[in-house]
Amino acid sequence: MSKQSQEITAAIIERVESVLVGKQDSVRLALACLYAGGHLLIEDLPGMGKTTLAQALAAAIGLSYTRVQFTSDLLPADIIGVSVYDRNKAAFDFHPGPLFNQLVLADEINRTTPKTQSALLEAMAEGQISVEGETRQLPHPFYVIATQNPLSQSGTFPLPESQLDRFLMRLRLGYPDPEAERQLLSGADPRLKLAELKRGITPAQLEAIQAAVNQVKVSGSLVDYLQRLLQFTRSSADIEYGISPRGGIAVLKSARAWALMAGRDYVIPEDIQAIFAPVCAHRLPVSGGEHGADNFIQQALNSVDII
Amino acid sequence: MRPLWQIPRDCLFWLLVSVVISIGLHLEHLPPWIVLSGIVATLWQIQLYRERWRQPGRFIKWSLVGACAAGLVLHYGRISGLEPMVALLFAGYVLKLLEIHHKRDALVLLYLSYLIIILQSLFSSSIVSSLLVFCALLPVTAALVAMHADVESRRPASALRTALTMTLQAIPLMLVMFVVMPRMGSLWAVPQHSSGTTGVSDSMSPGDMTQLGRNGDVAFRVEFDGPIPEQRELYWRGLVFSGFDGRRWQQEGPWGYNDGQFLQWPDKPLEAWDKVVMRHGEPLTYRITLEATNSPWLFALSTPVSQSPTVALSRDFRLVNREPVTSKLQYSVNSWLDNQLEPDLLPGWRARLELAIPSGFNPKTIAVAQQWRQETPETEALINRLLALYHREFTYTLRPPALGKHTVDEFLWDTKKGFCEFYASSFVFFMRAAGVPARVVVGYQGGERHPTENYLLVHQYDAHAWAEVWIEGRGWLRVDPTAAVAPERIEMSFADLFNEQDDFLAASPFSLERLRHIDWLNRLRLKLDSLDYAWAKWVLGYDNRQNDFLMNLLGAVNPQRIALFIVLAGGIALLPVFIMLYLSREKNTWDQLDRLFLQFCSRLEKIGLPRKPGEGPRDYAQRIRLQAPSLAEQVDSLTRRYERARYAEQQEAEFKQFKAALSKFKPGRKDRLTRP
Repeated sequence: MSKQSQEITAAIIERVESVLVGKQDSVRLALACLYAGGHLLIEDLPGMGKTTLAQALAAAIGLSYTRVQFTSDLLPADIIGVSVYDRNKAAFDFHPGPLFNQLVLADEINRTTPKTQSALLEAMAEGQISVEGETRQLPHPFYVIATQNPLSQSGTFPLPESQLDRFLMRLRLGYPDPEAERQLLSGADPRLKLAELKRGITPAQLEAIQAAVNQVKVSGSLVDYLQRLLQFTRSSADIEYGISPRGGIAVLKSARAWALMAGRDYVIPEDIQAIFAPVCAHRLPVSGGEHGADNFIQQALNSVDII
Repeated sequence: MRPLWQIPRDCLFWLLVSVVISIGLHLEHLPPWIVLSGIVATLWQIQLYRERWRQPGRFIKWSLVGACAAGLVLHYGRISGLEPMVALLFAGYVLKLLEIHHKRDALVLLYLSYLIIILQSLFSSSIVSSLLVFCALLPVTAALVAMHADVESRRPASALRTALTMTLQAIPLMLVMFVVMPRMGSLWAVPQHSSGTTGVSDSMSPGDMTQLGRNGDVAFRVEFDGPIPEQRELYWRGLVFSGFDGRRWQQEGPWGYNDGQFLQWPDKPLEAWDKVVMRHGEPLTYRITLEATNSPWLFALSTPVSQSPTVALSRDFRLVNREPVTSKLQYSVNSWLDNQLEPDLLPGWRARLELAIPSGFNPKTIAVAQQWRQETPETEALINRLLALYHREFTYTLRPPALGKHTVDEFLWDTKKGFCEFYASSFVFFMRAAGVPARVVVGYQGGERHPTENYLLVHQYDAHAWAEVWIEGRGWLRVDPTAAVAPERIEMSFADLFNEQDDFLAASPFSLERLRHIDWLNRLRLKLDSLDYAWAKWVLGYDNRQNDFLMNLLGAVNPQRIALFIVLAGGIALLPVFIMLYLSREKNTWDQLDRLFLQFCSRLEKIGLPRKPGEGPRDYAQRIRLQAPSLAEQVDSLTRRYERARYAEQQEAEFKQFKAALSKFKPGRKDRLTRP
C-alpha cells in the first residue's frame, strides 16, 4: 500500500505542480492534510496562488468542487441551501447549497459574519448539516479549504481560536523562488492548464489511502517525543497556554499521512518535525505577531531531543 | 485611584503574615503608634483586596508621612541611636504597605522584611529569639516564592512548603559560612540602645538598686575550671565609687588618678601596678559570659587578671572592656582571692581622695564618728563596733522609707531600715568621717548554682553594694555591712531569701523566676537557662574562638585555604541538595537501543560532528553525508536500522544487526571534510 500511495502521491503532486509552479512543499502538506482527512486553511496575500492551489488539488483528486466567495452579507442559507415551495408537488423542496460538495473552497472566510462562519464550521466538525429540523449528511469525503487574507483586516471577522482549531493545518504559500517565478512569467498562464488537469486518483484509492493512514505505525518512543514537544509548549514562559491534546492528536494524524506519503508504514521524528509548524502555529497564542509562533515552534523543535 | 498592579491574592496572604510577624518581633521596642499604623496599613490592604476601600489618595499618604515624621521626633527627640533608626525604618516599611503599585513595590517590602527581622538580633541574641528570627524568615521566603511562582504553586501551603525546603537546603551552607566567614569586627558602629544601661549603673543614690531587685534577668554566667567557691566568697566587683556629693556615689574615674594611666591593657603591662598588689596561692580560673549592659565595665572576683585583648585592668583593680558591651561578651579571668591590695602607705592625694566627705552633710554622723574614733583608736575595733551597731538595731528591707537631705544621718540614727546600698553608703561615710580611707564597691554578690551544669547564674537581683576599707599594712579589706544586718542575705541566694516578698521581681511579671517554688517549673527554667548558656558559649562565643578553630582545621589561616575550605565544605554541604535534584530529575527512559544510538552519536561527536538537540536520526545522517561523505554509507545503514528498530517496531530483527554494525563503526577525524 505504501509504495502504491507513494506513486499516487507523486502523480498528484506532479499534476498540481504543473499549475502551481515551485510550491512542492506546500502542495505536499496540503495533500497530507487531505489524506489525514482534515480541513485546510491557507493564509496569504492576494495573488499568491491560494485559489489556484485549491482548484488544482480539487481537480487532481477529482472531487466535486465548489467555490464560495465569502462576503459580509453572505447568509448561512446561502451556503447550506434553502427549501423552496414547489407548487406542483405542494411541498417544500430542499435545494442544497454549495456545501453539498466534496471539496468546498471558502474564499476569504474572515470576510463573512460569525453566523455564517459557524454554519460552515459546524459542517466541518460534524460532517452533517441540520436544516429546518432535518439532519442532512454531507458527501464523503468532505473537505473545506478556506483562505484568508491576513492584511486589510478592516471589516473582517477574524476567526476565534476555537474555530481556528477546526482546521488541521494552516499553510502560508509565500513568494515563489526566483527560478519558479521566471518560469511562471515566461510560460503561458498556468491557470489555463487547470481545465485540462486530470484526476490522479480514484475515489476508491483515496479511501484506501485514508484507511492506510490510520494503519501507519507509531512507536512508543515517538509518542514520548511528541508528548515532550507538547509539554514544552505548555511549560514555556512565552506562551500563555500550550497545544491542547486535540492538537497533539492532529499532529500525530498529519505525521502519519506524511509518513505514508514518503512510502513508510511507520512515523519517524522527522515526520513530526515536518508537519509540526503547519499543524500547530495557528493553535498557539503567541505575542509578537505572526512570526512569534513560527519562531517559538522552531525553538521547540530545536530544544526537545528526540530520544 | 485604581491600582496599576495588584498583588495576586495568593501572594498577599504571606506578605501580610510577614508584615505582622516583623512588627510582632519588634513589639517590645517600637512605640505603640507605629504598631497601630502597621495594623491599620495591614487592614487597609485587606480591605483593598475585598474591594471595599480604595487606595489611599495623595493627601492621606502625605499626611501619614508627616504624622510619622512628627511622631518620631516627638517620641525620641533625636534621630541617632538604634531604636529611633529602627522606628524610622518601620515607619517607612509600614507606609510602603499602602503604596504597592508595582510588583517591585511588593518585592521591596519583602526585602525590607528580611532586614527588619534580622535587626531583631541586635536587640537580643538568645536562643529563643534566634529561633524566632529563623521561623519569621519562613513566611517572608514563602511570600517571595509566591511572588515568583505560577498560579499553581503560589497557594499559601505550597509556597510555604517550597520556602521550608529552600531554607532547609540553605542550612548546610549557612553552617559552613558561619565557621569560615571572617568576622568583620566593628566595621560600622552599631548605634546603642536608647533605653540606657541595664544592670548596675555608674552611680549610686538611695533606692537605685530596688529596681534591680525586681529584675529577674540574668546578668552573667560564670563557669569555673574547678569547684565553685563558697557563696560568701563571691563578690563580683564591678565599679568602685570614691566620690560622694552627699547623695550620690560615683566613680572618680581616670581624672581622679592623675599620676599616670588609669587602664592597663594586657599587651602593654605597666610594671608599677603589680607592685601595689600581692597575690598569694593558686589563682581561680573562670569564664564569664556577660549579657549586654551597654556599659564597658566587667565583673570579676577580687584581684582579677584577664588575657582577653579587649579587656583592661583599671587602677582600682577591676576589669573594663574597650567598648560598651552591646551584645553577649565572653571573657576569661584569673583571680587571686587571697590578696593584699595596696598594703603600703597610700600617697597623700590618694588618701585625700578616699577620705573626702562633702561639707554641709550629715553633721551628726561626723560628730559621732569622731567621738567613736577617740574612744576606739584601733581601726579593726572601730569597724566591729559599727557592724555591731548595725547588727543590733537595723533591719534589712527592700522597701526602706524615703530619705531627705542628710541621707546618712537619717538612715543611721533615725529610720534604721534599708538594704545593701544604704549600709554600704553609711558605712563608708562613717569610716571616712572617722579618718579611715574607705570606698563603696558595686557589683553582684553570690549567684545561683545550676543544679546539673557546672556553672553559676548571676541575676540582676543579685546586685549588691559593699565597702572596702584601707588599713595600713593590710591594704584594702572588704567589709560587707549588709552581712552584719542580714547574714542570710550573703549565705543564701537573694532569690531564696526574698521569695515571699511581693516586691521581688515586680518588674518581671511573667518571669519564670516568680514561680520557682513550683519544682518542675524551676527545673524547666534552669534547663532553658543551660540551653541558652550553651548557645551563648558555642554559637555566640565562636567569634572569639574562630581563629583557633580554623587554625586547627586548616593548619594555617590564609585566604587560599579558606577559599579551598569554602569550596570543599560548601560542596559537601550542598551534596544532599544535588542528590535530591539528581533523584527527582525526570527519569530518562533510555533503553539499550537508545544507549547504543547515543554511543553512535558520541563517536561522531568525537570527530567534531555532534548531533544537535532535536535533530532526528535521518536529518543527522543527511548532515553527516555532507560533512563526512566517506562515512555516508555506514551512517546511512546504521540510521536505517535504528529507525526500523525504533519506529517500525522491528526491534528483535534489527537490534542485533545494529549492535554488530555499530561495533564496526569507527569514524576518524580524517573522514571529516575540511572546509574548502
